[in-house]
Amino acid sequence: MSNTQDLQNLVNYGLVKAHIAMGLVFFIIVGLVGFLYSLQLDGIYPFPGIEFLSPGRVRMIHTAGAAYGFLVNMFAGLLYWAVPRFTGYRVLSDALGWFMWIALQAAVLITVVAILFLGQADNVEWGETPWWIDPIIVFWLLLHLVQFGAPLFKASQRGPLYVSGWYISAMLVWTPLVVFMGNMIPRFWSAGAGAGAVQSTFIHDLVGLYVTPVAWGLMYYFVPIIMKKPMWSHGLSLLGFWGLAFFYPMNGVHHFLWSPIPMFAQYSAVFATVAIEFAVTSVLINFMMTLRGSAEQLKYNVPLRYMYTGAIFYWITCFQCAFHVTLTFQKVIHFTDWVTGHAHLIMFGTFGLWVLGMAEYVWPKLFGKETMYSKGLSEGAYWLLMIGVLAMFFDLTAAGLVVGFDWIGLNPWIDSVNFSKPFWYFRSVLGIMMLTGLFMYAVNFWKTATAGKGLSAELRSDSV
Amino acid sequence: MGKMERFSFVALVAGVIFFLFADFVSWALPMFVLKDIPMKTKTDLAAEAKAKNYSAWADFEKLARYYPEQFKKFCDYEEKFAGAGKVSNCAPNEETFAKALAIGHRWYVAEGCWNCHSQDVRPVSNETLRFGIPGVSNTVSYPSEYQNELQAPVLWGTKRIGPDLIREAAVHDIDWQVAHLYDPASTSPGTNMPGYPWFFEKNKDGKLVPNERGLAMLVYLQWLGTWEVKPTKEWALK
Ligand code: HEC
Ligand code: HEM
Repeated sequence: MSNTQDLQNLVNYGLVKAHIAMGLVFFIIVGLVGFLYSLQLDGIYPFPGIEFLSPGRVRMIHTAGAAYGFLVNMFAGLLYWAVPRFTGYRVLSDALGWFMWIALQAAVLITVVAILFLGQADNVEWGETPWWIDPIIVFWLLLHLVQFGAPLFKASQRGPLYVSGWYISAMLVWTPLVVFMGNMIPRFWSAGAGAGAVQSTFIHDLVGLYVTPVAWGLMYYFVPIIMKKPMWSHGLSLLGFWGLAFFYPMNGVHHFLWSPIPMFAQYSAVFATVAIEFAVTSVLINFMMTLRGSAEQLKYNVPLRYMYTGAIFYWITCFQCAFHVTLTFQKVIHFTDWVTGHAHLIMFGTFGLWVLGMAEYVWPKLFGKETMYSKGLSEGAYWLLMIGVLAMFFDLTAAGLVVGFDWIGLNPWIDSVNFSKPFWYFRSVLGIMMLTGLFMYAVNFWKTATAGKGLSAELRSDSV
Repeated sequence: MGKMERFSFVALVAGVIFFLFADFVSWALPMFVLKDIPMKTKTDLAAEAKAKNYSAWADFEKLARYYPEQFKKFCDYEEKFAGAGKVSNCAPNEETFAKALAIGHRWYVAEGCWNCHSQDVRPVSNETLRFGIPGVSNTVSYPSEYQNELQAPVLWGTKRIGPDLIREAAVHDIDWQVAHLYDPASTSPGTNMPGYPWFFEKNKDGKLVPNERGLAMLVYLQWLGTWEVKPTKEWALK
């Protein structure tokens, strides 16, 4: 499978391009609406009194758009690249692929129209899509299962699957179950505390059983390929995968600690969360040990740097989690910006940077070029995004502590709003910084795709 | 080990069995524990508000008296998405109250109020003091008050920019709520809550009054926690 012609027959380049391009467009849109909403918190919202730009509605576009517009598109694109390449089989059908591509964009656009213009939303965080779209999304995810399940199934007839294959196979099965469970059960088959337990499981599972496994699956593919060496330990890979598979889905209720959910469920979620820390640590040790001896590459290779930066942020997030999952920390930080800081470090800092790194690795190859259009834009985008999200994390974590203690102190409510303002202003400034990074990244993509002559790697010091 | 690394093994064991086991622990078991709490429909909630003369019922009648023209329009107003149709007898009765809850709740969700306001008073961090109701000994949130159609999905929320609202009935009177919903800064200087002018319209005299959706939203807000508000003294004496 080494010559280019074979690989081109294996991977549908058009689908990879189309998904990644839409993922990037939605990434920017998600950033823009996040920034817009942050202006409301600053008290300088530019469109007051316009019904369809009501800040609360815009906020739902931010979270639902991040899930379905940005992440699903990006991951689907990268799966179209990676799965055929490591299994050696094509996806089930190209026609199905294009149908799914159109259906996904349509579902996201319908959601945007429904939330902004029709006022139809669902109060499930990350599942804000109106309930009548959810069965369509579940159906889409079943197609996703057969589309990528086919090559994985065929490959495992021949022998054991590579690590990425385990993560992606499990994710393909989990995701439709999770979306069905999280959007249908709380609305039609339960209410109150029971629904809350399902919703918390959903919030966590969409991260833990979709985003995390697909992202780790892709990491296990791209990192060894870029460094041209195998993972450090197969045993740790096994431990990490089965640890995640068993403990992750039991974590959900930790989003609603001290709520009316029966206490035994809260305790078991806290316990499972501590257990997951060990699985995560084993995965990270594996990646860090793989890097040993090759760390020099981080200097030149921007995609690899995105991946390892994201991995370190992943570790920071999980380390932080070990504290705030305790009932003691929860007293202070629940409902504050601490949580928002945590959410962005993992979603933007880890998964966002990872997909950007992977996309930047794949993109020039899709157009038969050896390198991205501009090293400057590529470096600039990296630093703006990395510093931006890290600073946002520290900013919001600090804000969360200030506000949490202020609330306990029973001061007038408006004090907590005023105390938060400086932190919120700073977050908006960081938002501009991150958006600038994203625009630079997008310009680089555009230029790479449209550059007339083949961009060659002559001037680069690395050779990946 | 080879077998563990196949599609079918991973899909079955990790994908299905682990997932079902986790769901069993995380929410099926808690639901089982809570299963004896009766589930209330909007009609049940309205009947309860009337029968027990909740403060929300008085507010509802007040709104009907303040804005008769809009109240009539509200009776005819139809909203499929909230499952609310025309009411048969346009008066402040149980049917109209249930309809107001349905539409108010629908817009509370659609406007993302729940992204800034929680509906969950925790037993820690002085929350029962901050959000509690004077004269009621313990106003922490408890499961049965959420076992109704308006909490499916539940509205606990994950973020507070503004205060918790599950005891809102005890905090402000209806006039404050009307002013605040139109322009929060008018009652709460320095707030960053957005105004909702589209819940208001001009009446015949050119005055700004809540429209159909506004009325419903106000009823819903004043209903939150009304079951914990003690009856007024006069009512208790009777
Ligand atoms: C951007 C965040 C935000 C959004 C969205 C928001 N609010 Fe608020 N809300 C606040 C803040 C901050 C306060 C506290 C200051 C004040 O009274 O305005 C508040 C206060 C309130 C209060 C008074 C609470 C009390 O006990 O004093 C009510 C009632 C209320 N909001 C209802 C709503 C409703 C209904 C919606 C949706 C239509 C909504 N809010 C949307 C931020 C928000
Ligand atoms: C320019 C970049 C971004 C800015 C300025 C931004 C801003 C914001 C703001 C203001 C909120 C609301 C927080 C609150 O309710 O107080 C928010 C929430 C959220 N955002 Fe972003 N965002 C950005 C990018 C992203 C991306 C790329 C993702 C996901 C991939 C993301 C995921 C989330 C999530 C999950 C929440 C909910 C957090 C919570 O419940 O506290 N954001 N964001």
